[in-house]
Amino acid sequence: MRYAWLACLFLGGLLSAGTQDSEFNVNTRYMVETVLVSGDGWSTDVVADQDAKLSSGLRKDIAALVGQKLNPSALDELAKRLRKELHARTVEHHVLRGKSPDYVQVMFEVKLRPTEFDLSVPKFLYASKSGWSGAIEGTATIKHNGFTLGLVSDGDDLAERYAGMVARYENNHLGTDRARFRFQFESYHQQWNRNTVDRAPYAETSGAYRTRQNFEPEVTLTLARPLTLSVGASFERFQEPLPAAHTEAANALISTLRFHRRLEASDFQHDLDAGYSLRAATKLLSSDFVYGRHRWEFRYMLTHGKTVVIDNLTGGLISGRAPLYDRFYLGNSTTLRGWNRFDLDPVGGNRMVHNSVEYRYGVFQVFYDSGAVWDRNETAMVKHSVGLGLRQGNFWLAIAFPVKDGRADPIFMVGMNSY
Amino acid sequence: MEHSGTDHRIQWSVKGKLISRRSWLLAGLAIPLSRAWAEPRLEVSFDGDSVHVATPGLHFLTGSALKRLENADTVVFLSQITLFSDNFATPIRRPVQERLVVSYAIWERRFAVAIPGGPAPRVEGLTDTQAEDWCIRNLAVNALGLAPDRRFWLKFELRTAPRKDTPALINDSGISVLKVIDILSRRPRPDEPSWTLTTGPLRLSDLPRTVREKRTF
Repeated sequence: MRYAWLACLFLGGLLSAGTQDSEFNVNTRYMVETVLVSGDGWSTDVVADQDAKLSSGLRKDIAALVGQKLNPSALDELAKRLRKELHARTVEHHVLRGKSPDYVQVMFEVKLRPTEFDLSVPKFLYASKSGWSGAIEGTATIKHNGFTLGLVSDGDDLAERYAGMVARYENNHLGTDRARFRFQFESYHQQWNRNTVDRAPYAETSGAYRTRQNFEPEVTLTLARPLTLSVGASFERFQEPLPAAHTEAANALISTLRFHRRLEASDFQHDLDAGYSLRAATKLLSSDFVYGRHRWEFRYMLTHGKTVVIDNLTGGLISGRAPLYDRFYLGNSTTLRGWNRFDLDPVGGNRMVHNSVEYRYGVFQVFYDSGAVWDRNETAMVKHSVGLGLRQGNFWLAIAFPVKDGRADPIFMVGMNSY
Repeated sequence: MEHSGTDHRIQWSVKGKLISRRSWLLAGLAIPLSRAWAEPRLEVSFDGDSVHVATPGLHFLTGSALKRLENADTVVFLSQITLFSDNFATPIRRPVQERLVVSYAIWERRFAVAIPGGPAPRVEGLTDTQAEDWCIRNLAVNALGLAPDRRFWLKFELRTAPRKDTPALINDSGISVLKVIDILSRRPRPDEPSWTLTTGPLRLSDLPRTVREKRTF
């Protein structure tokens, strides 16, 4: 109740501030025609464009200015929010004459910091079966160039626990705002589960390796605003200890097509994400492994107030013989939660299909996962799991149960940023 | 020699002969520059109740304030008039502060001015000079109780308020009064242009008498 009163006082204060300014500022008689947000080499019309640089809430609030009487004090408030969200050095707003009499154009001019340093934790996870996983990255941004150095120890994604470093250079303005360039280098040491070592190598995959390095240049092009295409190459080499230590390479052409669309209708917000990625390892790039890895993903999210419903469908297919790190795995913190992947299939599979349905209300969430991973010429065995948890911002905790006969052995997970 | 030369030229113009192009050019430059370079003066008058000021040559709708105005912003100027005795040594009474709220219609290219809480309503459609004049003419300090032959000194201060303080200053509450005092009591920053004009000694009996007028343009 106390918070309700405080909120009323705060909103009342805002309204009265607006009234005061409209009483004194002669420009409050004009109507806002358009609102543009422009930065160093980019510009967006908040009504016409669906720019990913701005959060939906802020974009909505800025777009709400259009068609309304000009409120100069509201512009100050929005400029502050833009500055905070874009980590900008300054955000200035300009009011210009519109195309029609008594209409004005509002332009927010964003000036970014020439140099910036960010420390981030892209992944932090504890799962009762696989233990701790985490990644920490430091990024120095100089104009359009980002230099990242990170440390990783991940026992959640693949059959291996990989630990090592990541170095990355990114240029997000390759002549135009529609082209980005990225070069990534990764170097890891591996630890293996006994079940995996006992099964690999076999006809469908490589053996367990001790170290792995990857060099990956990639260019991303924005084809049409919500559709992006990434093309590049991956030069991955790994050292197998047996029978004698030797290095093998899996060099591949990589491409990813991504689509993101947000639709907002009254109180409902629909987010659609779709993606297809191809990794084609070929002898042309002096690869020891020749294979094609296809992966499809479709994600739909419906948001209505505190209620969120998510459906995430993924599928994958590998033709040829791929190394262990490129195979598909289920039974981790994002897929078939509750299952231990070493019980399901310790060497993964070259076919995979998975669907996850999640319902969230405020901080509470329940989910139902189902999926199968198998090798060609095998029969797919669909597994199911259910779970519930709490989520606040980037932090979450969940307990997940595999649906199976006999004793249900739940997995407890707690994490940050990882799903 | 110079004196006679000047006379000669005047004679030429009187005779209707053409003035040289250089003279026209110099005159064209001199007129706007003279306005800019004119030293602001402080003139004081008395209407029987209040002491009024006039500041010919003082142009405050310029520079960064004008840029903000042309960007549809509201700009607040803070004024303060203080009467002193003993050559600015002792204030006779509490200084009088006012908020001059100015905005600029970007379509009509005209200024609008207001003094919150003042008797005059907001005035619109003014040129820069008219707006400046309106603001200064509507400032006054009550002279009630000041003996007609008592000597006094007057200090007039004008300052552009920081942009971040605008919402608090145009809010008609006790907070805005405190804010005015707070801003006027601190040193102005380089981006807050300020002007201080002084005059004295003066006597009410010596001041030019003006008609008590309604404080409007």
